Amino acid sequence: MSIKIFLSDSIAVAENEFRQFRRNRSAILISLVVLPFFFTAALGAGQGGAGSTYSPTARIPIAWVDNDNSLASVRLWQTLATSPDFRNLVEGYTEQGALAQLGTKRIYAVIVVPKGFQNDLESGNQARILLYTDDSEPGMSDQIESTLTSYTQNFDPNVEVQPYLSQLQRQSVAGVGIVTKGATFAGFNIGLTTVLAIVQIFAGFYEIAGGMSREREEGTYARLLVSPVPIGSIMLGKTLFDILLSVIRTFTVLGLSVYGYGARPNTDILTLLALSLIIALVTMGIGFVVAALKMGQRAVVIIEFFLILFLFAFSGLIIDSNLLVGVSQVISYLLPFTYAFDALKRTVLLGRPLLSLTYDLEYMIGSIIASYVIAFVLLHFSRERLIR
Amino acid sequence: MKAFVRDTVAITGKELKQLRRDPVSLVLTIIFPILLIGIFIVIVSAFRATTHNVPIVVADLDGTPASNALLNQLTQSRFVHVTQLVQTEDQAYQAVANGQAIGAIVIPQGFGVALASGDAFVIVATDNSKLTSSQFVTAAVNDGAQALVNQATQEGGVSFGLKLAPIEVITRPLSGRPPTGDPILPGFLGMIAILGGFDDIVNAISRERERGTFPRLALSPVSLLAVYSGKMSATVVLTILRTALMLLIFTLYGLVIRGSLLLIFLTTILMAIFTLSVGLTISSRIRGSATLTVLEIAMTFPLFTLAGTFNSPLLLAPGGTAIADSLPWTYGNDALRRLIYLGSGFSAVAGDLAILLIGSLILLPIAILLSKRTM
Repeated sequence: MSIKIFLSDSIAVAENEFRQFRRNRSAILISLVVLPFFFTAALGAGQGGAGSTYSPTARIPIAWVDNDNSLASVRLWQTLATSPDFRNLVEGYTEQGALAQLGTKRIYAVIVVPKGFQNDLESGNQARILLYTDDSEPGMSDQIESTLTSYTQNFDPNVEVQPYLSQLQRQSVAGVGIVTKGATFAGFNIGLTTVLAIVQIFAGFYEIAGGMSREREEGTYARLLVSPVPIGSIMLGKTLFDILLSVIRTFTVLGLSVYGYGARPNTDILTLLALSLIIALVTMGIGFVVAALKMGQRAVVIIEFFLILFLFAFSGLIIDSNLLVGVSQVISYLLPFTYAFDALKRTVLLGRPLLSLTYDLEYMIGSIIASYVIAFVLLHFSRERLIR
Repeated sequence: MKAFVRDTVAITGKELKQLRRDPVSLVLTIIFPILLIGIFIVIVSAFRATTHNVPIVVADLDGTPASNALLNQLTQSRFVHVTQLVQTEDQAYQAVANGQAIGAIVIPQGFGVALASGDAFVIVATDNSKLTSSQFVTAAVNDGAQALVNQATQEGGVSFGLKLAPIEVITRPLSGRPPTGDPILPGFLGMIAILGGFDDIVNAISRERERGTFPRLALSPVSLLAVYSGKMSATVVLTILRTALMLLIFTLYGLVIRGSLLLIFLTTILMAIFTLSVGLTISSRIRGSATLTVLEIAMTFPLFTLAGTFNSPLLLAPGGTAIADSLPWTYGNDALRRLIYLGSGFSAVAGDLAILLIGSLILLPIAILLSKRTM
């Protein structure tokens, strides 16, 4: 068969996919609107825009109980109350009264300055303050403790107005300054690398595996398989269709991120598009394998859900993959998406050129080839069985 | 009234019978909780690991006993693994830029002298695209520097111009429990209630529509209210089973459940009913069961971030907190945490439960009306 016929068949399959897609309003809504918009907007709401900064502890109501009533304790209160991190310090509580309110959602932490605070500081001893926290709020206790410690470890009771401390100074341990280098990134930019990949994975898998299982349930799949169109053309046609949707999704996520939330990816648009499409192709390959295993639509959706959960656990989204232990680290290293997230972080955040990420690219392209070959073989056997 | 109750019970029985015949759904009800807890264990065990071996390189440009002491602290650190000692600052940074190490620590020339006057500093360069690993590098340097300070203080005679931090912060958690990742677990229970509720609506309405049995059910001599009431009752029964399974897994994992079990069950039931109302509203527009499931899964993942499943909504950006405050699920998750983790009583969670109930009471009639119109 000539390459021309192969390509024309592929284009015919792609056209058919588009026609079906155009007729399905729900599919358009999910693929091109809900997934890219909802995920990006949720990221923006959770992290704030890339240009904006906020202190997580600033608005949390925290009770201030001063049992020392000394100049030093007042200065500590001034330091915290005028800082951008503790804007909601609530005064007027007794220690017992404040502790009774903890856990009722009126206050989430209590800072207690005990008697003898100033004496300890004057005599050169280490003074202590107590921090009671509502630890039922995940992550909040650690956040308040680390922010409070950053102010107290450099506190000078002899200074009336404490100098404003930079992030660098706050990180320093008394006596040894720690100068941090290396770019820091806005939470939104970090989240963008996740959202871009997750949107492609979510949509790509459902469009390929879900689409083919739907065809099977409608009865058109067998007809397509026994038609004179080669399996390669069917796969290429469906891939072309999904690549176009992936391009639209990539631009939607990036457009909303850049113009809506001020994201500044540290790389060019072509690199982002190329990576996004590679991730889409990895997903499509897995989607073809699942589809070739003759799964129903419900099974496809369930696998998709498990796949996403798997990614969160093992692909370095919550914790870096190099920190995972035992079998989980092996799973992480086997998953092609681990390399996809790594490549996205290195390009979007660090500005590394795409071609310098040879190992990540090799692994992803290798898995694309492997999954397409497996799917081709499985589909070929399906066709043989149908013809016989 | 008697007929209504009888019809409701009959529909509930039918729903549960259908589920029993659908092994995929049945398995899902059991597998979801186990899978979620499995993921939690993987993540927590990674954080709790005694050693991390995050690769770092060190450039000791000082070569004094003081810099050696710091280097020793770093080599003994349980967070990092010194893979290479380099000669220059540039080599150290290059190792990070090339991805050979996640952190580079430069001990500058004059460190020992500066330490004596209290002006010492070290430079820490990290690959911040590795979010958690880079924090371990900073923590290792902080620990090393603090150990150096403590050592100097203990030795007393050493003429380092060092001082301890003037104020020590002593943290006392309200629950009295040791600091772990366990406060996330109640959020997982909320997650199961939400996902279960969505799955139930797909089973109860969309799949029935696809099979063509829904119009038949509506035309049967059973009131439509009894049909919806029966389907809702089935969700209540399933939510009770899912909650019981999750609580059992929590207990086996070692989490002590402090609050009233009755209130925990009530909270998850209210969360599931609210989810059912949302699902019913959406299903009046999107009719395919698979499409509906994908849409609901796509919606729930961002919702988990905003509704305080994994992190306190108070730590979100101001816009995110406002969204979290407007989602009834946030109050459900909050109530679960207070009940399970703190052992709070009814008065502490009454407001949260009321919001879930009011949300359902407002949405449910609208959802049923929309669903009837598109039948």
